[in-house]
Amino acid sequence: MSDTVKEALTDDHATLSDGLLARRYFAKFDAITGHLGRVAAELEAEGRLGRLEARVIGGYVQRLAATFRALSHKYLMTGRLEGALPGAPTFDRHESGFPIAQELMLMAVDAQHAAQHLAGMAAEAELKDRMVRQIVGDLTVPTQLQFALSQRLYYEALKAGGLFQARNDPDAQWVADVGDRRRFLVHWAVYDTQTNLPAVYLLEVEDTGRRPFPTDDRRWPQAQAHLMAQSLAGLKLVTIAMGFDRDFADLYPRRLRRITLGPMYSHSFTLQSGPIAEVLANAMAPTGEDWALVWTIEDLLSDREEEVKDGWFSTALRQVWRLDPVNGGETGATRLERMVILPERPYQALAELNPPGFANIRKFVVGAGGRLIPAR
Amino acid sequence: MATFDAQIAESQKQIAEAQEKIAAITTRIETARQNLSQGDASIDIENATLEDVHKHTDLMNANIAELIMGLDDVTAGFTEDFNELRSKTTMESVVGFFSGSKSEAMRQERLRTASIDSKLQDLISKSDVIVKLLQGQLDLLNGQKTKVEANLVSTLDERETTVAELEAVRTRVAAMDPQIIELENKIAVEQDAAARTKLETDLATLNAEYNALVQDEQVKLAKSQTLERYIEKGKTWVDSLQNQAATQMVLINKLQTDTRQRVVLYDALTSSLKTAQQQDVAHRINEIGVKTDQEAQAAMAAIGTATNQRMADMLEAHEGHMVFARQVLEAKAKADERFARRFAKIVEKHDKNQYGE
Repeated sequence: MSDTVKEALTDDHATLSDGLLARRYFAKFDAITGHLGRVAAELEAEGRLGRLEARVIGGYVQRLAATFRALSHKYLMTGRLEGALPGAPTFDRHESGFPIAQELMLMAVDAQHAAQHLAGMAAEAELKDRMVRQIVGDLTVPTQLQFALSQRLYYEALKAGGLFQARNDPDAQWVADVGDRRRFLVHWAVYDTQTNLPAVYLLEVEDTGRRPFPTDDRRWPQAQAHLMAQSLAGLKLVTIAMGFDRDFADLYPRRLRRITLGPMYSHSFTLQSGPIAEVLANAMAPTGEDWALVWTIEDLLSDREEEVKDGWFSTALRQVWRLDPVNGGETGATRLERMVILPERPYQALAELNPPGFANIRKFVVGAGGRLIPAR
Repeated sequence: MATFDAQIAESQKQIAEAQEKIAAITTRIETARQNLSQGDASIDIENATLEDVHKHTDLMNANIAELIMGLDDVTAGFTEDFNELRSKTTMESVVGFFSGSKSEAMRQERLRTASIDSKLQDLISKSDVIVKLLQGQLDLLNGQKTKVEANLVSTLDERETTVAELEAVRTRVAAMDPQIIELENKIAVEQDAAARTKLETDLATLNAEYNALVQDEQVKLAKSQTLERYIEKGKTWVDSLQNQAATQMVLINKLQTDTRQRVVLYDALTSSLKTAQQQDVAHRINEIGVKTDQEAQAAMAAIGTATNQRMADMLEAHEGHMVFARQVLEAKAKADERFARRFAKIVEKHDKNQYGE
């Protein structure tokens, strides 16, 4: 394997080694994740998401926010200390804008040692007391103590849990009984390692097994592993759904949705081509308002069920999926909907420029005080 | 991965030893400093000790470098996984002897559940362990460096004072020379015994003072030379610490970049293997409405066809939708440039009835 391949794969990774820049980056995400929950609520109010689905998505958004907070604590002292620690956050600046997946994997490794680290660390109050002593006594900036405190906050966040991990294993919720079948909503989320974007999957599945599927020890762990292994951004929904349908005999997937949160575009942080680059450049938005977040919902519905021969003497029911007649071949989904969330200034620039291709994208404008205004 | 753990343990031991030696030298430098201020001028840091430390840290760094290379062995496990994804298992081959399609279906199922996530996590955590090791060493080196540097600053100050004092003494000695010569000349020409005695007493006092000053000069000179030697040693030590720290930084950097690139590479490879093997088949099977295995077989043969070709197939299968599709297209004509371009090709193909070429 030549080195050039490796380099080509990582050349869009950018490191924020400057302390102020890193602070700004995390502050931006803190604001953005706050708006994401409101978008989910807005979609629920419009009746496009069910109550349960909105709650599930809201839960993942909150976990994402918690992850960003933890990472922000980890890198609180970036650029202010000599040496390799605390390191610098690395993010994908092309078609993602999110931290690279390895940051989350590393976080999972750190989480294993969180309790051990916390046991050996001074308490927050004590650290602060020592900081005051150093400031008053030695007249120096207590960077080492500040670093210790930032790491303590990081490990505390890890221990508290509720984080969006690189993989968030499936969970199932009973929805209704349909005839002799039980209907479940299975949901899980992954931080895609190729695109460096978080994606939430919602699968509606019908079950004819003897035991309810999420409590069936024979099928549930296997199904979980199967779904996690198939959650790649590169796979189309129809591929995932068909594989699941084939591999589990008494489960009938009826609807599969994938909600990709991102990419995040920002004139000062990320590299982008096409109209969005021009829009953000024209907006000349002040700090904190220079971003646009795209949110994609892919939706795949089952059209009908057909009985097929499965082996020499048996038959099985298989789903035939309804694909978008026009570009279903390319998207592998029934519907593909894009939404963009952006502050007022970039929206103004977008409206003025009115670039082709943006007409069908749903826009949400973030106003002062976090108000969310849906726009067409 | 017993060898890896053993290597880690070995490295930890060596690092502990090296750290002990480094700390010992710094302590010696500090003790010497204390002795100096108490007037004891001996410094017992021999070049041999420094070299010993250097030899040991070199050994340690070599070991860690080996550890980093050793991660390659860990990653060799990935190659196995990739090969498994690409080829058929024995069972699948046996089944394939009777039914090619059944064998292919088995392989597909295996492919769907394959995951290298845990292995990636393992790689990351192992590399993290090494980084922590290196980091510990780097922190120690930086700490020692700061200590010795602070020490050197105060010593430099002291040497400066000593040199200034030495200069002052020398000026005074130089100034006394003419006085003494003048007195001696006076004594040589003086006839009066009383006056002569007084002059001789003066000369004796002056000489005593002179001797005291010269002795002072010797002491100051010795002290200045000791301090100078001490500073030399301290500087060498700081240089050495700095070099060692630089080596650690390089190792950390190399390891972090390496791991990052590896993780991305392996991940990309797995996902492309999975995507390429499954995607086309899935589409074809959905289209042919789950008919028979034979068609799946045919679909397998079509793997790797260009996207355009696939889309053409899709559209052909959706013939009934074509009218609708065109209407939609007209409505969206302005909307998506890229889409329009793509579709134009297919419409062209369709109109000229060039499918399957």
